[in-house]
This record gives sequence, structure tokens and C-alpha cells, in this order.
Amino acid sequence: MEYWKDETEPITAFLKLFEEAKKDEELSNGLKKVNQLIWFDYTENGPDCSFHIDCRGGKIESAAGKPSDTPDLVMSLSADDAHRSWSNKLNPVMAITRRKIRVKGSATGLLKLAPKLKKVAAIYESVLKDLGWQDKILK
Amino acid sequence: MNGNTGIIIDVNLSEGFIDRLAPPEEWYLRYVGGSGLAAKFFWERGDFDADPLAPEAMLLFMNGPFAGLKLSGTSRSSVAGRSPLTGHWGDSSCGGYFAPELRYAGYDGIVITGRADKPSLILIEDDRISIEDASDFWGRGIEEVNRSLKERYGKNHRTLVIGPAGENLVKYAAILNEGHHAFGRAGFGAVMGSKNLKAIVVRATRKEMSLADPDRFAELRGDLNLRIKEALASSVMRENGTAANLEGGAFAGDVPIRNFTSNSWEEMGEALAGSTLTEKYLTRRWQCAYCTIRCKRVVEVPDGPFAIPEGPGPEYETIVSFGALIGSMDLAAACKAGRVCNDFGLDTISAGGSIAWAMEAFERGDLTSKDTGGVELRWGDMETVVETVLRALAFRKGKLGELLAEGSVAAARKIGKDSLAYTCQSKGLEAPMHDPRGGGHGLALTYAMSPRGACHVADPMLFIEMGACYYPEIGLEYELEPKTDEYKPESAVISVALGAIENSACFCQFADREVTIPDWVELFNTVAGYDWDADEMMRSGRRVFHLKRLINYRFGLTAADDALTPRMLEPARDGEPEGVEINFSGMKARFYALMGMDPEKGIALPETLEQHGMTEESSRSW
Repeated sequence: MEYWKDETEPITAFLKLFEEAKKDEELSNGLKKVNQLIWFDYTENGPDCSFHIDCRGGKIESAAGKPSDTPDLVMSLSADDAHRSWSNKLNPVMAITRRKIRVKGSATGLLKLAPKLKKVAAIYESVLKDLGWQDKILK
Repeated sequence: MNGNTGIIIDVNLSEGFIDRLAPPEEWYLRYVGGSGLAAKFFWERGDFDADPLAPEAMLLFMNGPFAGLKLSGTSRSSVAGRSPLTGHWGDSSCGGYFAPELRYAGYDGIVITGRADKPSLILIEDDRISIEDASDFWGRGIEEVNRSLKERYGKNHRTLVIGPAGENLVKYAAILNEGHHAFGRAGFGAVMGSKNLKAIVVRATRKEMSLADPDRFAELRGDLNLRIKEALASSVMRENGTAANLEGGAFAGDVPIRNFTSNSWEEMGEALAGSTLTEKYLTRRWQCAYCTIRCKRVVEVPDGPFAIPEGPGPEYETIVSFGALIGSMDLAAACKAGRVCNDFGLDTISAGGSIAWAMEAFERGDLTSKDTGGVELRWGDMETVVETVLRALAFRKGKLGELLAEGSVAAARKIGKDSLAYTCQSKGLEAPMHDPRGGGHGLALTYAMSPRGACHVADPMLFIEMGACYYPEIGLEYELEPKTDEYKPESAVISVALGAIENSACFCQFADREVTIPDWVELFNTVAGYDWDADEMMRSGRRVFHLKRLINYRFGLTAADDALTPRMLEPARDGEPEGVEINFSGMKARFYALMGMDPEKGIALPETLEQHGMTEESSRSW
């Protein structure tokens, strides 16, 4: 991995990102509207390198690993490309076209959140700072 | 012949003459089919002096080689000829059910000249082709006529019908298949109207087709149909239609607002989004023949001022044309406007574009109540648009109807006052609902280079800039940033050739994003036996592009016509693209150089034509 020293680092960063993102009313409402169980699968970088968010039924819960229920949507990519993606440095359409992101399930809900990626990236940058990982911030 | 049938129906309506033509096989190999083959036909047999609405004008319907082969995205065909809206080359493609039926009946296309002495229709039932009286259908809307034709001939007879707009020679009149699928652009509904041709009806009882390598094709088809069905874009469009990503487009500044005066309207994205259409008004999903995407919508607006019964629903272009473009975010009104346009037979893009221009002209005082016969035109006033303006257009009623029925360019020329500067068009064709300032600067280039005028489906530049195309085999592997000119001319060179292939093969641009370059080559070879490699295929694409431009040159167009209006090139006033300049002249000069085109005449240089095996065409142009 280019940006991470082990498979726990990206999951720490991404879970904290979602914890912070759900404090933002606009993002929180957007995630609730998605109404899906989503597994972000980075296991190509290690068997424990994944997390999930559960936005079903008006809640937003996130946790490390694969969900016990069958996910509605699985997004498989590398932890490095996930880092680029949350930093708004990866064109998601291009990444899907070039098979850098593999999607299984309905991504319609998540697609509606694509315009919010700029805001998410700003939160992600402050998360990285909080974690003392300024060196990982992509400019 | 493999793939194509090799037979074209030739009809002269003045003489009641019907014949069958067998074009040289070389024409198919060099110009493929669809709009490419139509261009070759026009080049060889078209009357370049004839007014587009004169009896001598040639109207061409052409299939591609894959029609009827049960491959997702290939049940399309092209209509072509001299556009009454623009006065030069025009073509328009349509999905639905007509193309496969015509192919099963044994034909690759129909070439029509002349003018019938009374309202008529062409009836094709396998080998039997006749011209029938259609007087009782004249003056009636498309929905009713489509239904009546099926009652008269049978529910499996496939129809192409024009509405009152075509009969009244509205310059952007459309032709509809099954009352749902439109040959929308460039005004060929008016050409049918000028020929007193209300409809074309086709029915086949056989489905025999000869393919070069049927076993390998069947294998490839199975693979492609699955890939197309399972693609992320397909599932998104299946769920929410072609407007599925309208919110993303609105955020990027791709969705034109109030005649391209704004690129930012936060609430509009969600109000007009495909997901909102699904939640509020969708009753069923629908599809073109054999397509697994199912992006078509069937909607019902149950109540309110814009209530409509269950029927064809709007696509992205219609939603924005009768939404953001004219200052409305009333989705029910867009549904109703789309339905009215379908019934009258109006192209929703040019209708919306002309109305948007008129609304701005009215706001500026360049157009007054005196010019409109008392009709007040205000942004977002959908009641006036639906109840008054569309009827006025389709029936050329009153001053407003006569003015706008000619399209925005003719209307602007008529009222003057520098109002041409804020038309949104290229070569006289109103721009579709993607604003290059937000959608991508390469789109500005390809809008201007498109032979028919501003067009988002003449080539896949919109998808290329989005990042949805990756074709390393032909050099398209740039990582593009939409709002710059970097690598845009280089991408456009590939895009225009690929677009010519798509529109000649009549392959839907939503479906064929899953088709790789090796797949394309194998499709042509297994179906038609062209024995192509990727280079030869792309050479054919460029040949088609160059031929259409040679046709335009004979109509008097030059490089100066490869332009966008000041409005479309001024820096965006707000939103994501605010203040960004488009380097249009730089991109254009580079594109011309890469394509080997003359920077004055706007056509390929003699040596370029020679490289594409177009010596004869060169000698008639240089």
C-alpha cells in the first residue's frame, strides 16, 4: 500500500470519517435516504481490511469488518484508491470504468451523494489531521 | 450479403413508384449503415439544390447491420437528409421497435422522394409494399393515430407517425415509433409532412438472417447482453431512467439553467431527478426491443394542473428542456410537456431551446407582447408553455407560433436586436441539455464539429469526459479533467470516429459503453464479415465523419460554421464552473490539424481523403 503502513490504518481513518460525517446534518440526511447496508470491501489489502455502514431504517451505524447481514451494496477497491476517493482525488466513474472500483448491488442511492464528495473530503482532511496523519493528506 | 439484407426500398410518392435497390456491397463496407450509409446515398443520389421541404428532397431511413439481432442497444435506426431546421446535413436516431421489424421484412432502409397528392402512408408487409390513403389520419395526434393504425393493421405492425407539427412543417417536427420512441432532432417530421406522408407501417412474418459467423456471434451476444445488463450504469438507469444522475450533473454545472444563463440551482437537482420521477410518477419501466437496460419510463401524473394518464414518460433531455432550461423545477409539468410534444410530434430539445430563448428575449424586452400576439413569456410559467405555447408551435397559430415554429435561429434573425448572440446552438441546431462549461470543454468542441449541429450523441465525448470510456487499443486512455482543454482535441479525434461508427451501426450509447474495441471489431466481423481490425474500423468512422462534412460543404458550410454562440462560450456566471474560460479556438485549431482538415473550408484535405480511400469524393470537392 502506498499510503498505509498496515490494514488497520485505513479502517481507523474511514470509520472516524463516517463518525464525523454523520454529525453533519446534510450528509446525515443524505446517508439515511440511501437506506442500505453497505460493505466497503478493501480485502485485497488484507482479510480484515473492510468496514460497513448500516443506513437502514433511519439509523447510521458503522463498524469494522464485513456485516453479518447480506449487504445491499458492496464496493470493492484498494485501500489506497479508497483514500484517493474520500480525498475527492479519484473520479468514481473513471475508476469504475477501469475496474478500480467494483460495485455489486444498487448504487443508485450512493450516486445521489456523489455531489457531496467535496464536503466529505473536507471532513476527511480534518480527520487525518486529528489522527496526526497530515502526511497522508492529498493535495 | 451477411448482416445487412442488401436491399433498400425506393419510393417516389409523386409517381406512386416503389422499387427495391441493391446498393454496391462496398458502400456497406465503407459506410457501415445507419447515418453513414444514408450519407453515402445522399452524396450519390441526393439533390443538393432542393429545398428540404420540396418534393425532390430525399428522406432516408437506414438500419445498422445489427438490427434485429437481439443484442441490447441495437434496435435503433437513423433518419437522414437535408434538415429543414438547419438547411444542411441532418440525421437523427431512434430506438424502439421499427428497425428490427424492417430488417425482418428484408430491408436495410427506405429512401423516399416526391410528394403524395393526398395524405398517405407506406405499408410494408414482407414483400408487399404499398402506398395507402391516410386522409382520415391527417390532423390527428400521434397517440391516436398509432392506436388506430394498430387497430387497422394489427398490434404487431410497427409504426412511424408524424403529428400536427410535421403536417404544419414545424422545422423541428419529430417522427415517433409506437408513440413513444422519437427521431427527434433536425426536423424530419416536417420532411415527412411536406411529402404528405403521415406514417410508415411495417410488419414481417419471417426472421431469416444471414450472418458471417453465427456461432461466434451468438457467443459474443450472450456475453455482451449479460455485461450490458449487469453494468452499474445500466442498473442505475433501469432504476431511475436517463435522468438518474441529474443531481450530479446539476452539481457539476452540466445542467443548463434559464437559457444557459446559470449553472447553479441547488433545489432543482433533486426536484427533477430520475429518482424523484420514480418515486412520484413512475408506473412501469419500458425498453427498446431486446434491450436489457430498460431505461424508458411509463408515468402517470394522477392529479394537479398537469395531470396525465399512464403513458410514455420523459427522458433526461425532455425533463431539463421543460425544466431547468426554462426556469421550472416542476416535474409534473415536464411530464405533461413531454407528453404533449409526443402527441404533436415536436422535438423536445429544440422546442425547449426555442422557448427558453424566447423567454430570455421577452425578459430583455427584445421580444414583446406585440410580437407574441399577447402571450406573456415568463421563466417557469409552465401553464403558459403547456397550454398555450406548445399548441401555438405545433399548429403555427398566431405570431408566436409562426415565430417559434422556425426554431430559435430563424426567430432571432427575425427579431434582430443581437438576440442571435443568446441562442444556444451550433449550425442552427439547438444545443442538448449538457452545458459544456460544466459538463466538459471537450463537449464544446464536439458540439461545434458535429456535422448536424450541436449534438451530444453524434459522438461519445460526454461519456469520455465523464470517465466512462477507456479504449487503450485506439489510444483513448487519458485521465481527463472536464473543465480544461487538456487532451480534448486528441480525445475528440477518437470520439468523432467512434461516434460515426456508433451512429452508422445504430448502437445505443448507453448500451455500447460496455462494448470494448475488440468486441466492436468482432461484432462487425462475425455479423457482416467485414474482416476489419481496429484501425480499419476507426478509418471507416473517420470516413463517415468526413463525408458528412463534404455534404455540408456542398451546402455552403465552411470552417467558420464550426462555432458556438457567444452565450455558450462566455464564462459561467455561477456554480462549479464559474469564471472558467473555454479555450475553444485553441481546441478547434488542434482538432483540425490532427484530423487533417482545411482550416478555411472545414473539410478534409485532399491527402486526408486519399488516406481514407475517398479519391472520388475528393475530386468532387477540391
